[in-house]
Amino acid sequence: MADVELSIPARSAYVGVVRLAIGALARAAELDEDIVDDLRIAVSEACTNSVLSHERSGVDAPVTVTWNEEPSRLLVEIVDEGAVYDADGLDADDTQAELRLSMSVAMLRSLMDGCEIAPREGPGMATRFTVPRRTR
Amino acid sequence: MELGIDVSKTDSHAVVDVKGEIDVYTAPKLREKLIELVSEGSYDVVVNLEGVDFLDSTGLGVLVGALKRVKAHDGSLSLVCTQDKILKIFKITGLTKVFPIHASVAEATGASSE
Repeated sequence: MADVELSIPARSAYVGVVRLAIGALARAAELDEDIVDDLRIAVSEACTNSVLSHERSGVDAPVTVTWNEEPSRLLVEIVDEGAVYDADGLDADDTQAELRLSMSVAMLRSLMDGCEIAPREGPGMATRFTVPRRTR
Repeated sequence: MELGIDVSKTDSHAVVDVKGEIDVYTAPKLREKLIELVSEGSYDVVVNLEGVDFLDSTGLGVLVGALKRVKAHDGSLSLVCTQDKILKIFKITGLTKVFPIHASVAEATGASSE
């Protein structure tokens, strides 16, 4: 059982560091390899959205990833302090940034069942999802 | 993290071989290369993703941006990709309908010059 919190500077160079960490955590949790891949992509997308949001808003706070393992599932949350947006109200034809974000949201929702992308308490957005674990 | 980009020219196409991970950190390098090619007059471009281990929404955004640029010159942008994990990203985002995706560079350069 591992609970891990990763806090990264909101800069693009650190998103790859999170991918490495998530890959290692997911393998340590004995998830299937295809789920490990999906999880790396999903966490990377959520961190990318947060890092770009901080850059645009000029926020100098870190982006935080928490990883909580429960017996039957693991919970992952990515939290930022950037601008709040409506993940259901994006216009892919508007700007390049909005097109990218809408593709990112599509990836998150497709890869992670029940993925929530919503404003959190306090400033910023939170992206949350759960991954079922095999019972053995 | 490094992104390798090699460009070669055929009679009809500029072929961009990409190796490594395309993410928010490395995608700007690919964008700059694709903008440079179009500004030099290469309007028929093939991007070979066979050496790519990871592709995110930023990379997709760069490819869509490049497609718009070549289309403005009546050009084409096609992709080479056979890896399931990368193809999956194009399917999820609906971009399989936007980009011609081929199994080899030879197929891509042959198909879009017809």
